[in-house]
Amino acid sequence: MKQLTRGAWGEPGSSLACHTGSWRDLRPGHEHAAAPCHAACPAGEDPQYWLAAVQEGDHRRAWERLVAANPLPAITGRVCPHPCEQRCNRGHYDTAIGIHGIERFLGDAALAAGWDYPGIVGPPAGAPRVAVVGAGPAGISVAYHLLRHGLVPVVFEAAPEAGGLLRSAIPMTRLPRAVLDAELERVLACGIGLHTRQALGRDFSLDELRAEHAALFLAPGCARSRPWDVQGVIPAGTRDGLDLLKSWIDVGEVPAARRVVVHGGGNTAMDIARVMKRHGAEEVHLVTASGLPGPQTAPDDVLNIVPRELEEGLEEGIVIHPHATLSRVLLRGARIVGVELVALRKLERADGRRARVAFEGTERILQADLVIPCIGEQVDPAGLGALVQRSGFLRVDARGGVAGACDLYAGGDACGNIGTVAAAVGDGRRAANAIAARLAGAEPSERPRTEIGIERLNLNYFEPRPARRAAVLPVAERDDLCEIEGSLDAAAVADEAGRCFACGNCLACDNCWVLCPDAAVLKIADTASDGSRYVFDYDYCKGCGLCASECPSGFIAMRPEPE
Amino acid sequence: MDESPRQLIARQREAEPRYRGLESGHRACQGCGEALAARLVTEVAGGDVVVANATGCLEVFTTPWPQSAWRMPWMHSLFENAAAIASDIEAALRHQQRPTKVLAFGGDGGTFDIGFQALSGMLEREHDVLYVCYDNEAYMNTGIQRSSSTPHAAMTTTSPPGRERMGKRHLKKDLLSIIGAHHIPYAASASVAYPRDLQRKVRRALEISGPTFLLVHSPCPLGWGHGGERTIEVGRLAVQTGLFPLVEIERGAVTAVMPLRVPRPVSEYLALQGRFRHLFADEPRAREELEHLQALADHNIAVYGLLGGAPDALDADGADTVRRGGAVA
Ligand SMILES: Cc1cc2nc3c(=O)[nH]c(=O)nc-3n(C[C@H](O)[C@H](O)[C@H](O)COP(=O)(O)OP(=O)(O)OC[C@H]3O[C@@H](n4cnc5c(N)ncnc54)[C@H](O)[C@@H]3O)c2cc1C
Ligand SMILES: Cc1ncc(C[n+]2csc(CCOP(=O)(O)OP(=O)(O)O)c2C)c(N)n1
Ligand code: SF4
Ligand code: SF4
Repeated sequence: MKQLTRGAWGEPGSSLACHTGSWRDLRPGHEHAAAPCHAACPAGEDPQYWLAAVQEGDHRRAWERLVAANPLPAITGRVCPHPCEQRCNRGHYDTAIGIHGIERFLGDAALAAGWDYPGIVGPPAGAPRVAVVGAGPAGISVAYHLLRHGLVPVVFEAAPEAGGLLRSAIPMTRLPRAVLDAELERVLACGIGLHTRQALGRDFSLDELRAEHAALFLAPGCARSRPWDVQGVIPAGTRDGLDLLKSWIDVGEVPAARRVVVHGGGNTAMDIARVMKRHGAEEVHLVTASGLPGPQTAPDDVLNIVPRELEEGLEEGIVIHPHATLSRVLLRGARIVGVELVALRKLERADGRRARVAFEGTERILQADLVIPCIGEQVDPAGLGALVQRSGFLRVDARGGVAGACDLYAGGDACGNIGTVAAAVGDGRRAANAIAARLAGAEPSERPRTEIGIERLNLNYFEPRPARRAAVLPVAERDDLCEIEGSLDAAAVADEAGRCFACGNCLACDNCWVLCPDAAVLKIADTASDGSRYVFDYDYCKGCGLCASECPSGFIAMRPEPE
Repeated sequence: MDESPRQLIARQREAEPRYRGLESGHRACQGCGEALAARLVTEVAGGDVVVANATGCLEVFTTPWPQSAWRMPWMHSLFENAAAIASDIEAALRHQQRPTKVLAFGGDGGTFDIGFQALSGMLEREHDVLYVCYDNEAYMNTGIQRSSSTPHAAMTTTSPPGRERMGKRHLKKDLLSIIGAHHIPYAASASVAYPRDLQRKVRRALEISGPTFLLVHSPCPLGWGHGGERTIEVGRLAVQTGLFPLVEIERGAVTAVMPLRVPRPVSEYLALQGRFRHLFADEPRAREELEHLQALADHNIAVYGLLGGAPDALDADGADTVRRGGAVA
């Protein structure tokens, strides 16, 4: 054969024959980290993921993604303290995404449109039955998630209706009962058997329930107020805040008083304080051992009031006395005429534990004709016996399991958690997963993803944009019934959701596809297994890492090339 | 028959929703700005073009014999005559009455320096050619020698910092003004850091019949001394400092600029690159050169009026904004 010199002849070829992927020592890959909002949500929602569907204009899909974790978005959209927003990366840039307003919008949209809860198929014949005690948010959540696992929940509720504190204690100005009724009804209609006026300890015992059910979930909440007195003194006729709130909700009345002192730093304290103020009290003082939110206050020392409720309460004229307690009640005969306050701090003692220390010499007098204790509640031990700990709560492990009893689970306020609806919903979801896994003889599978901080985002690709917030009723127009915070309209929701950075997930922005010098990022028609529409062609990717640095949302990570 | 992963990805490559003018498998360095720029330009130019490419990195890394990464008719010229070859191709196509567009590609050495007279002639004879200069600010293919495009004070192998001077003594040639002085219909500068702006300018140039010119700032990780992952960041800062202004010139007059919302200090740009490392030494000459480069940036900002407007979606902060589904601008 005739020998040709190199360059004289060649079979024309494409550079595709050259696999430059062999140059690579770092390999880009899609890594779905946890957005901070997800990491922060006690209910386990992934707001980033459902906000993505809102960005696509698909409200139904967004709602379906949301209710995969939390069946009560119209409710939590209204009452949740939304820790998600406090953690939102956008908060370090301009203003956090108003997640609760969008959650509420989706919840309301589902109520209006009657979208079916996804992922619920009728349990197979003979599916195990699981008893649930209490139809508050924890009980409703566990029942809903048990259904999603193909189990049969049977709920026993002492009250005539489901809802727990949502119905009996949270003011209508924050949670209209029409919304509560509509959302609960829809969740129950998924196939939850509810037996009302059935109280554990009165109508049946724990042993009876255990005999008839494969597992039990206890969510009785905290029905009993903690004993309260000031140096042994309890003024005659004292009623605690929760009791007053419940009767205000039932009959619309509160005791008449000119100067009120509310003792406590939680939602009950703030809610009853605002009701008293609206019902004619000239002065309402809230005395709490906790501090106001701010840089000087340690996170575990901040009063446990939903931030916007605190704001609205201050707007309405509630006077807050942080880091203080009542040291004396001043009585004239049996009638209360005032209280003595003393300053107090949580300090570390010699044994390392923190304790409250009152400071001598800081006493001062407040005139008052009514004191309302709101220092918290504990579990009513009826029917629970020795399960109630000395702390006044039930004790459970991270999955809601009661120690020493493999068929017993518990959650919600009864376990002494931070006491929010979202936490109760999350407890229910985790316990349902654990129950389903145990009944299937498997390990519960929930692999937490690592949280992504703002330093992993490329902020060059975003612009500051004003946040959209719902209108709030002016103080003068607030009454006992009208909802104070308004709704966002669809345009505002689109705008607000559009501000989401998509932390840790694909924003579908095309950056990697547009910027790869090697055309090694391909945009595909269908969705890849990681949910994005981009794949790496590792035959050609040289591993420069440009895509990873320019991915706005930190979805691409460079990892050492496998050997 | 079941598709192998490799067959699947090959099929996905062919089904991509865009034209690929520059194929994968080229031998550019990791994170090469010039490869990215050429990919972006050819993507919008489409397949119905003929390209004349001067000698340089772009030519070398795309066409190791007998393979080619180009997916359109492409011709390698000499180092100095890409514009002349393009002129001839254009004349021949015109004679054949074919509407095919002609592009000429060159590096900054091949454009600012050795190919300059051929380019000037092409513009003067009003050939219907889009000339794209991939400006990586030195003769990179032969090992980082200074060109007339190398910025003042940059280190190259022929402008080393030392006792005598702090990197390149002379200034970056203002080529765009010289091109503008040919009174051609359209000349513009662009950057890989602003791909939509760059592609809009390519489209605009190709709509015009007559000579057009694009100067594309193309960071070179090897020659500038930065990581390949920083190519866009470096390019963006060149624009946002005012050192590489993005402007459009029609018939010799500046008709549009990309305004700067908040000009960044030049030190942010320089500190990312090894070629300016000597400017951060603790000595008066270094401080003076840093001030000199800041003054050059301020001069650009003043001359082109890059400041003063209200923030807008097309300024240097807004132009790269993205959202779900792609770019905003
Ligand atoms: C005034 C007030 C305002 C609040 N505001 C907010 C807020 O804005 N945002 C927020 O997130 N959280 C708020 N909370 C807290 C929130 O309401 C609770 O954390 C949440 O309701 C706890 O849910 P749960 O299901 O554990 O208990 P609960 O809601 O208390 O429900 C327990 C249910 O169990 C039933 N039950 C009890 N014992 C038995 C028994 N023996 N047999 C059968 N059934 C039984 C009860 O009747 C009740 O229906 C507020 C609480 C109060 C009191
Ligand atoms: C007439 C001539 N002189 C010198 C060379 C050697 N040469 C090949 S490429 C090159 C540098 C190219 O620099 P530039 O045009 O800036 O393009 P880059 O490689 O930087 O992309 C040189 C000097 C040549 N090919 N022809
Ligand atoms: S930009 Fe392209 S070549 Fe570079 S790491 Fe990403 S996929 Fe690979
Ligand atoms: S660069 Fe954009 S498209 Fe690519 S992975 Fe990141 S978010 Fe998704």
